[in-house]
Amino acid sequence: MKGITTSLFRSVTVAAVALVGSSLSTTVSAQDPYTVGVEASFPPWAYVESGEFKGIAIDAMQAIADEMGIDIQFQDMPFPSLIPALSAEKIDILATGLTVTEERSKAIDFTIPWWETNDVVLVPEDSDLNVFTAVCCGARIGVQGGSSQQAWMEENVVGSDIDVELAKYDSYVTAVDDMAIGRISSVIVDDTSAQEYINAGKAIEIAGKIYIRAPLALAVSKGDPQDILASLNQGIMAIYESGKWQEIINHYIPGITPPAIPGNMPDFVDTYAKPVAGLPELGNE
Amino acid sequence: MDIYDVLIRDFPFLLKGLGVAIVLLAALLVIGFVLGMSICLLQLYGPKTRLLQWPLLLYERVFRGVPIIIMLFIFYYGISGVYDISAFAAAILAMGLRSAAYQSQIFRSAFQSVPAGQMMAARAMGMSKAKAIRHIIFPQAARHAIGPWTNEFSSEIKETSLAYVIGVVELTRQAHYIITSTQGNVLIVFAVVALLYFVLNRAGNSLLYAYERKLAVPGFEK
Repeated sequence: MKGITTSLFRSVTVAAVALVGSSLSTTVSAQDPYTVGVEASFPPWAYVESGEFKGIAIDAMQAIADEMGIDIQFQDMPFPSLIPALSAEKIDILATGLTVTEERSKAIDFTIPWWETNDVVLVPEDSDLNVFTAVCCGARIGVQGGSSQQAWMEENVVGSDIDVELAKYDSYVTAVDDMAIGRISSVIVDDTSAQEYINAGKAIEIAGKIYIRAPLALAVSKGDPQDILASLNQGIMAIYESGKWQEIINHYIPGITPPAIPGNMPDFVDTYAKPVAGLPELGNE
Repeated sequence: MDIYDVLIRDFPFLLKGLGVAIVLLAALLVIGFVLGMSICLLQLYGPKTRLLQWPLLLYERVFRGVPIIIMLFIFYYGISGVYDISAFAAAILAMGLRSAAYQSQIFRSAFQSVPAGQMMAARAMGMSKAKAIRHIIFPQAARHAIGPWTNEFSSEIKETSLAYVIGVVELTRQAHYIITSTQGNVLIVFAVVALLYFVLNRAGNSLLYAYERKLAVPGFEK
């Protein structure tokens, strides 16, 4: 009897101390490589294949880091956790297909835009819905939770007298699959991702386009505590001018001409006021 | 490349994810065991002062009453203000502390199922309270606790899958990678993942049941 009691207590205590010790020591200190937060279930921007990070944002971020002469490591997180993690300085840089919005610009600082998207309405291939009938009359519409599409829909459609219901998903891939089952009638997603799903052979089609000219950018914590915003901006311009950017885009989305960098810089973003960090000749007056 | 080829190619990564889940599980169960046992012993045999008993009760109520996903966020972002905690450590802490609240009640019921007269008899024979707990009550309570403890084990395995919300790349997140990089196949990938969780669950529970049989006192098996 005594044997069970003592040995159980002893081994459990030793194991507890060892485990807690080893796990706490994995935290990063300030001298380590910059941590780049990505949402790795968001092709073609960032995804994981065979255990390796891939995607436009991954390759471009690596190229920019080479330009800047810094070390980076990628940290994957679900999209809704990324901006809070950046605000809390758990990550140093956010690199994913991140849309610049006014609300986000209050919590984080954006680099110059490196892409521009418009949203599309996806419907099943055999559907006869058009862009107007797909977004009205009691339709259930899929969006990714926390995405700019959700914000746009809530601002412009859900609040008005159009009768629609938003279904929020963890990722667009599940939303598109749910549409195939028939649980939702359409999905609102950016045009770059939509093209990916169609290229992958999903039975869907684009019913129509919503021109929002949404800029995409990298982001750093508010106030740029690491002082890297200027070099990131210069790095983006450098890979654009050297042709490396075009090369990366061609690799992931063949046959597309990337929008010019810097793209549309909305007034509401304070880091886009002249002079832009690292690129003093740019910016809104 | 069809989904089965991808699954075979990426199976090592699913196993890696399973490994992360197992380490997380082991760590949280150990924390839960040590703390839960302490809480139980203090609640049952500690000083009956409000100063001690109320905080214990509050702890147990709070950690059993708040969803684990909320706890994960609170621990990850909350602790970050004072200490740069890693996502993995935050997950272990949040889930371990919650498991402690559950385990304390498993142990309490096990200890209380030992007839109170035994403690009195032990004390009458001159044993100290601590000795009586260790030599008389605990060996019986431990046997009673294994059954309900398998429940805690099973539910915690499944809850490890929530750690991905703060960036712990465990089995479920690895499955997400395959689903999104192949643009679909939710059903097949999650079926494989479900099977992996099930196998782990069965293996763990079989071990616990075997331990229960091994400890069974001849003549007292039910």
